Amino acid sequence: MEENQKQSTEQPPESRFQVSRSTLLIDLWMGRIIRLGGISVVIAVFGMLGFLVSQIFPLFSKAKVESLAPVNFSQTGNVALGEDEYGEMPFTCDTKGNIIFRKAGDSSVTKTWLADFKTATQASDGQNAAPVSIPVTAIKTYPRDGLVLLGLADGSVRELKINYKITFDKNGKRELEPSIDLQYAGKISENNSAILEAWSVKGTEGRLYICRQQKDGHDLLTGRRLIERKGLGGKAKVTVSEPFPIAADVTDLERVLVPSTADSLLVIRKTGEVRVYQNSENTFSLLQSFKPFGDAKNAQIAAAGFIFGNVSVVFQGNQNEEVVWSLYPQKQADGQMLRRWGKIHDCETLAGVGQGIFPAAGNKCYLSVAGGRMQIRNMTNGSIRWEDSAPASPIQQVIFSRNYNRLSLLCEDGKVYRWAITDHHPEASWNTFFGKIWYEGAEGPAYTWQSSSGSDEFEAKYSLVPLIYGTVKGTFYALLFAIPIALLAAVYVSHFLRPEWKSVIKPMMEIMASLPSVVLGFLAGLWLAPLVDTHLIPILCVIGVLAPSALLAGYIWSKLPQPVRRRVGPGWEFAYLFPFIVLCAYGAWQLGPTIESTFFTVKDLASGQNISDFREWWRQSTGLNYDSRNSLVVGFVMGFAVIPIVFTIAEDALSNVPNSLISGSLALGASRWQTVWTVVVPTAVSGILSAVMIGFGRAVGETMIVVMATGNTAVMEANPFNGMRTLSANIAVELPEAAAGETHFRALFLGACCLFALTFIVNTFAETLRQRLRKRYKMN
Amino acid sequence: MSNARFQARPATDQTGRPDFISIKNFGFWYGEKKALKSMTLDIPERQVVAFIGPSGCGKSTLLRNLNRMNDLVDGIRHEGDIAIKGQSIYDPGLEVISLRRRVGMVFQKSNPFPKSIYENVVFALRVMGVKNRAVLDEACETSLRKAALWDEVKDRLNDNALGLSGGQMQRLCIARAIANRPEILLMDEPCSALDPIATGKIEELIHELKAQFTIVIVTHSMQQAARVSDRTAFFYLGELIEYDTTEKIFMNPGQAQTEAYISGRFG
Ligand SMILES: Nc1ncnc2c1ncn2[C@@H]1O[C@H](COP(=O)(O)OP(=O)(O)O)[C@@H](O)[C@H]1O
Ligand SMILES: [Mg+2]
Repeated sequence: MEENQKQSTEQPPESRFQVSRSTLLIDLWMGRIIRLGGISVVIAVFGMLGFLVSQIFPLFSKAKVESLAPVNFSQTGNVALGEDEYGEMPFTCDTKGNIIFRKAGDSSVTKTWLADFKTATQASDGQNAAPVSIPVTAIKTYPRDGLVLLGLADGSVRELKINYKITFDKNGKRELEPSIDLQYAGKISENNSAILEAWSVKGTEGRLYICRQQKDGHDLLTGRRLIERKGLGGKAKVTVSEPFPIAADVTDLERVLVPSTADSLLVIRKTGEVRVYQNSENTFSLLQSFKPFGDAKNAQIAAAGFIFGNVSVVFQGNQNEEVVWSLYPQKQADGQMLRRWGKIHDCETLAGVGQGIFPAAGNKCYLSVAGGRMQIRNMTNGSIRWEDSAPASPIQQVIFSRNYNRLSLLCEDGKVYRWAITDHHPEASWNTFFGKIWYEGAEGPAYTWQSSSGSDEFEAKYSLVPLIYGTVKGTFYALLFAIPIALLAAVYVSHFLRPEWKSVIKPMMEIMASLPSVVLGFLAGLWLAPLVDTHLIPILCVIGVLAPSALLAGYIWSKLPQPVRRRVGPGWEFAYLFPFIVLCAYGAWQLGPTIESTFFTVKDLASGQNISDFREWWRQSTGLNYDSRNSLVVGFVMGFAVIPIVFTIAEDALSNVPNSLISGSLALGASRWQTVWTVVVPTAVSGILSAVMIGFGRAVGETMIVVMATGNTAVMEANPFNGMRTLSANIAVELPEAAAGETHFRALFLGACCLFALTFIVNTFAETLRQRLRKRYKMN
Repeated sequence: MSNARFQARPATDQTGRPDFISIKNFGFWYGEKKALKSMTLDIPERQVVAFIGPSGCGKSTLLRNLNRMNDLVDGIRHEGDIAIKGQSIYDPGLEVISLRRRVGMVFQKSNPFPKSIYENVVFALRVMGVKNRAVLDEACETSLRKAALWDEVKDRLNDNALGLSGGQMQRLCIARAIANRPEILLMDEPCSALDPIATGKIEELIHELKAQFTIVIVTHSMQQAARVSDRTAFFYLGELIEYDTTEKIFMNPGQAQTEAYISGRFG
């Protein structure tokens, strides 16, 4: 009272009410800095998201294809096309074997090579024969090797080597100077039967020629190999193998397909049947015959082609049909698993009669032409990279450049139509990442992640589904272990434990939270995994006995007479409980081996003796894998990483429940447990949920523990005794070996985005739940 | 200052047990600090006893001892004994929980649980294990009626209790405390945070509840003590200075300190 009066009577000097300039300035600047900080956090988050999206966006774009000026070869009758590495000087080869080079820019002729096969006949047998012009029956160009193989009607072959010499003129402009070497000329067929197909066999310096001899409506196919060995003097020595029969009784022969390895041969008949002949030691035997389009009369095969990698063939039918067949293990009638051809894809098709299948040279794409239109497709995921109308004139040959950036079409009208392709990620599509795909050589459609292999013919498998599954699995096991323990511990510490103990345990848990996960991962992989491996049953027994023994302890406690219970002060119960549980756990540990030998005895397959080994029992009785670095170990150790955070936050939330509520509840005659359960937990539930969410976030994003404590195999199995590969571990393991900008690299970023989406969805869900709970149990 | 305005209500029914709560030579320590000096007083059945005295003199401490809420505090110690209906509350055979069920408590700051009004009222019954909905409904209505809150909240029993006004919340806490029909109701400055109208309502209520409960109320307002209580105890520095009928304390206090306090000469 007195003070008030003083204040109202005394006239205060002006300056007392003035705020100092520095206070105002600090206020202003702190406000600005805080705003700046807030805005930069938002920008950083969106920038990160933007970066991720910019990295994955190209994965889902189609090919950009730009039409280039056609090269006009003016004369018709060209059947084969070849070109140099840059596509600057294509050449064509006509049915007589004449080769013409033209400049891509102005179609001017730069070189003409006229075939003169009459003299060649002489050279082959050394005798003088009357000069007869022999038609060419088979032409094959290998632009990459600069090789042109010609097979003639009389059974002789010519092998031409095309060389482009690069010179630079005065202005430094690149000039190409083509030259042609006749590398080999010789007769392959004794009985003068025409050469049907000529193949340069991949991986060897050899060729395979197939001769076709017609006899009473039958076709007799024989093969001959030509092996080139570089001699000491640098001169190639060519040896020709003995002729070997391939098929003797083919009727209605349409064409022959040979993989570039030439280890098998597909004979396509006019009836729509495909016969597969398998080669071993130069003997071809019929392996399988099938009809890709069924038994219908008009189910003919319009076109077919081996896809890069030689394991799959695309067949095009006459009636808007296109299928992919591949060689994969199939169960035979006698139960054996043998590699046979079977259909793996049914493709969407262009309407109309099939006009050709032309595979790309370095990836799994192919050009499919039908009904006057054409598409570039990816065989693996079925995505259509590009579509346009096909040239009106029938297509003779198609060349995809080696690095899939150019497409050249030789048409009957003598023109070479050309396109520039920009398609960096033909193997990427929604289906690739999230769909079930039947890969070549696989037994069925599957979600597979297998990003690299030794061979470039390998079909990259980028399904994120097993990784998402692994992430969810790892998180599930970690949370299954961590959440109950962390929350119960938080409840115990916040409301049951004596405060002096709490002040020790809380900081200890906080230190545990800062334990580097690489240390935990190291422990998991090098210490825990081997321990669990050898002592699995005892460990499971101990875990199983913990909760029941705690309950039992409680039950016995409640039966103890009041004076005995009084002796243990509130908050000291653990001193009684702890030894009891330890005793029970010890008992369970000791009992473990007995249990294992009683319930898990199996016959060891190797020695034939009975052994008690849970791992073997698991493998034999469930047929599932047992991996020593399994989900249990990961869950356990990742749980250790999660427990401290969840505990700390949940404990804070529980401790922050106002004491007035607790007193209120106790005063109404509620026991401590009732108070905690009915008042404290519901009041703190939103904080507890936050704790769980942060634990979830930690488990989902946890990388090092998973990398070190699992085998990192991307399997999709709920089996707790198997490992997994998570999205984050996948990024950690593979990012160093992925080249920036390639599909693999971007797929990893897509994985990161999925991780982001996963946490985003779960967090959003949890946050809405939290808000609702908060409203329900809101404190004023 | 005239004592006329502290006109006490005439004492009502006096037939109850005179030593319903009997506090004998009771002293109390918080750790080393002695909060209550040894004191003896009897609280008669179905009467309102007011504890008055300056802040920190131990009123709440004594009140909280009556239902052993002080057990929650660390390092406490007591001497002497408190008995309810002749049974010591420190009897080893007596569960604290059952004691608290007999002795309800209303706190200075209203503390409704962040639950619905209904759940707040039936809380004590629920923790006692009552599951029968009809019993709960019935208890909810009677206690809300007794707490003079029924008409105000009967249409929104399922709303969150935290949406009520301060006075309503305090009456809800009273309803909650009497729902399981305790024998004794302890109130620690129940009106200190309330406006005069709400205070009036609660005082009215105390008067009504007296018929069924033995009420011990701590208050800072001497007018209130005079208005609601039958007997008044005056504490000073942890010591029971004077304990007598309210009329006697206010009209004719036996101690100079009491006199000084009542007339507002210190505080
Ligand atoms: N929990 C406690 N721990 C230690 N001292 C306490 C505690 N509660 C109250 N006290 C002390 O006991 C004395 C009596 O307090 P209290 O009973 O709350 O007084 P009143 O209710 O009369 O204002 C005060 O000096 C106070 O500081
Ligand atoms: Mg007090």
